[in-house]
Amino acid sequence: MDEFIEFVRGGPLGPVKKWGTKWSLWPVHFVTACCGAELAHAFAAGYDGERIGALNYGIARQTNLIIVEGAITRKMARALKITWEQMPDPKFVIVMGACGLQGGIFWNGYHLVKPSDVVPVDFFVPGCPPTPEALLRGIRQLQFKIETGEAKTSATFPEISLEAGRKPRVLPRPPKKISKAPAVIVNAPKEVDWEFGQKLVEELKAKIDAKSVTITGKNRIAIKVESDSITKTAIRLKEMGFDHVKNVNVIDVPNEDKFIVEYHFSSYSVKELMPVIVNVFADIPRDNPKVKSLANMFPSADYMEREMCDFFGVIFEGNPWMGRKFLLAPDAPEFPLRKDFKLEEEVYVR
Amino acid sequence: MDEYVLDIPVEPPKELRSLFIPIPPEYVEDTYKSDDFLILVGPQHPGSGHMRLIVRVKGDIIQEVIPDPGYVHRSMEKLAENRLYIQNIPLVERPAIMDAPNFNLGYVRAIEEALDIEVPERAKYIRTMLAELGRVGTHLYDAAILAVFIGHTTGFMYPFALRELICEALVRLTGARFTSSFIIPGGVRRDADESTLKWIYDMTLAMERRLKSFERIFINNPTVIARLQDVGVLSKEEAIKYGVVGPFLRASGVEYDVRKVEPYEVYDELVWDMPVSDAGDSYARFLVRVNEIGQSLSIIRQCIKEMPEGRVISEQIAENGNDIRGSFYDSLSNIVLPSGEYTTLTEGARGTIVFSIVSDGESNVPYRLRIVSPGWLYLKGFMESMKGERLADLQAIYGSFGYFPPEADR
Repeated sequence: MDEFIEFVRGGPLGPVKKWGTKWSLWPVHFVTACCGAELAHAFAAGYDGERIGALNYGIARQTNLIIVEGAITRKMARALKITWEQMPDPKFVIVMGACGLQGGIFWNGYHLVKPSDVVPVDFFVPGCPPTPEALLRGIRQLQFKIETGEAKTSATFPEISLEAGRKPRVLPRPPKKISKAPAVIVNAPKEVDWEFGQKLVEELKAKIDAKSVTITGKNRIAIKVESDSITKTAIRLKEMGFDHVKNVNVIDVPNEDKFIVEYHFSSYSVKELMPVIVNVFADIPRDNPKVKSLANMFPSADYMEREMCDFFGVIFEGNPWMGRKFLLAPDAPEFPLRKDFKLEEEVYVR
Repeated sequence: MDEYVLDIPVEPPKELRSLFIPIPPEYVEDTYKSDDFLILVGPQHPGSGHMRLIVRVKGDIIQEVIPDPGYVHRSMEKLAENRLYIQNIPLVERPAIMDAPNFNLGYVRAIEEALDIEVPERAKYIRTMLAELGRVGTHLYDAAILAVFIGHTTGFMYPFALRELICEALVRLTGARFTSSFIIPGGVRRDADESTLKWIYDMTLAMERRLKSFERIFINNPTVIARLQDVGVLSKEEAIKYGVVGPFLRASGVEYDVRKVEPYEVYDELVWDMPVSDAGDSYARFLVRVNEIGQSLSIIRQCIKEMPEGRVISEQIAENGNDIRGSFYDSLSNIVLPSGEYTTLTEGARGTIVFSIVSDGESNVPYRLRIVSPGWLYLKGFMESMKGERLADLQAIYGSFGYFPPEADR
C-alpha cells in the first residue's frame, strides 16, 4: 500500500494529482465565530469563491480544507481537532481573522486558545474580519503551495526595527485607573420627570416588603430586598403583570464580601409596563452564595441563572442544572468573572 | 402474538465525559430504556456558527432538546472590565458583526445616559440610519442562512448579493464592511457627505426593486412555504413565558418593539409600522423580518430626507470644532461614569439587546458590563418550539430563528 501511495505522489501521476487537489479544495463548514459572515460573502454571488474550485461542504469526511473563522474557544478546540482528524489526507488549514492568529481583540480572554496549538496551520489571513478578497487570496496561496510545495506570503511589508529608539526607555503609564476600594451602588437615585413611575413606586412599596424602592432613571426602578424574599417579590411582580425576566446579573464586591444578585423584570402583556424594567436585587454572602431559583416561575431566567452559576459560582437552588458547566468548557477556569480571577495585563510600549 | 421482554444490559457510552457531552449518564440510560434515541446535532454542522443540540427523539418526533452553547463564548464581559470605556466599543460589536451598529448604539447610549450627554440632531439621524442598515443586513443574512438550512442555494445567493449593497453603503459611510465602531459617546466619528447619502438613498430604491424578485424566487416559493408553514409554532402565551424577543416575539402576536415602546434616537419622529403576525410559526417569523426590511428601507430614506445640518459630535465631548478626528483619545479616554447602574434596551435586528453598566464612580473602566444578546434571550423559546416537531423540521426551525451562536454566547 505504501508503495502505491508513493507511486501516486511521486510517480508520473504526481503532477496530475497535484493539479486535481489544487482545483478541488472543499472547505468544511466550520463557522467558529463571526468571520463566518465574511466567509459566506466570499462564497456567495458577490465574490464567487467557487470559480477557483473551492466550495463549502457540510460533512468533514468528504472535505480536505478547514477554514477556521476567527476565535477558537476551549470548547471548540476539541471539535476542531476531531473534525480535522476525520478528514482524509491531504488536508489543509487556513486560519482567518486576528483572533486565530494571536488572539486579536480577545487576546487575554480566559476561554480562548490559538488554533495553531490544536492543528497544523498552512496559512493565516489577518484582519478583523478580513475581507472576502483577502480570504480568496489565502486560498490562492494554498493552491500555489500545493502546486510548488512552497509556502509564500502574498503580501510583504517593510520591516521596522523597534530597537531604533533611545536606550533607557521609559514605559508610558497605563491609562487605566481602577479604584482600590470601589463602592458599588446599584440603586443610585436619579431625578426624572416620570409621573407613572411615582405611582408605580407607591404601588410597589405597598405590595412588596422591600428595603428600598428607588427610581434610578426614566423607566428604571430598583428594589432592594432580602435574599430570601426574592421569590416572594417575584410572585407579587408577576401578579402586577411583569411576565418575563430580561436579565439575571451578579456583581462581585470582594471588599464588602458580598455578591449582588439582580433580576431585571419587564412585561410584554401590559402596555403601560412594557418600557419599565424593575431591578430586584439582594446581597448574598460571598462564602456561601446561595439564592432561590426563579426558573420554575420565569422560564426565561433559566439559562441566565445557569450562566451566572458558571461565571460566579452562585448556586440558584431549584435550578436542575446547578453544579454543571453550561456555557463554559469543562476545563475552563473556575468562576472566571469573580474579581479575584485576574487576566493578563497589557503592556504599553512607546 | 406473545410479547417477549428482552433484558439487554444498557451501558451509557463511556465517552460522555471525554467528548464534553453535558448530560448525566442517568439521562442516557433512561433514554435507552424508554426506546428513545439521542441525536447529537453539531458542533460541526452546516449552519452559521456552532452549538450542539442534544435531541431526544421518539421515532422521529422530537421529545426534548437540550442546548449545549458556549462554543463561541469569548469572555466578553470579563474583558470589558479590564479595558477603558472607549476600548470596549469595538469589543461589544463583535457578538454579531453583521448587526454591529445596533450593539454599538446600545453600549454608547448607556454611557451617554450616565453622563447626561446631549447628542446633536444630525448625529442622531446618522445613527438611526446606520442602525437600520445593520438591521436590513442582518435580516438578509438570516434569510440566506435559512435558505441554506432548507437546501435552497438560490435563496442563499440572492440575499448575499443584496447584502453587498449594504456592505458598500457601510464602507462609504464608515470605512468598514462590518465592524465600523462608528458610533461613539456624544455622536458619530465623522460627518456623512452629500454624495454618500445620495448613494444610500438610491441604493434603498434599487434594493426594494430587487427584493421583489427575491419574493418571487424564495418567499412565495411553494416549497419554502411547505417547509416553513405550521412548523415550530410558539403561541402568544408561550412566547411571553419563555421571554422570546424581537421579530420572533412579534411573529407570535405580541406588539413589542423597543423602538416603539421606549423610543431612542429619532424613531419617534419617523413614520413606520411594526409588522406583527399571529401565526407564530416559522414562516411568520420569516415574513415578519421580510416586512421589517421594507420598513427599515423606508426609515433610511426618511432619515436622509429629513437630516438637518449641524454638528455630529456633542459640544460636551469635542470642545473645539465639529471634528473628533485627531483628538479622539484625548477627549474620550478618561471618561468616568458616576456611580450606579445604567441599563439600556436597544432593538437589534434579532431582538432586544440589554446593556447594563455598573460603575463605581472612580475607575475609567466599567466595574461590570452585562451584555444580554437577543440570541441568548430567545434560546429558551427556540428550544421549546422544537418539541413535538419532526426531526427533519429542526433545520427549518433553526433557520427561522436566525440563531447565531457568536451572538448568543458573546
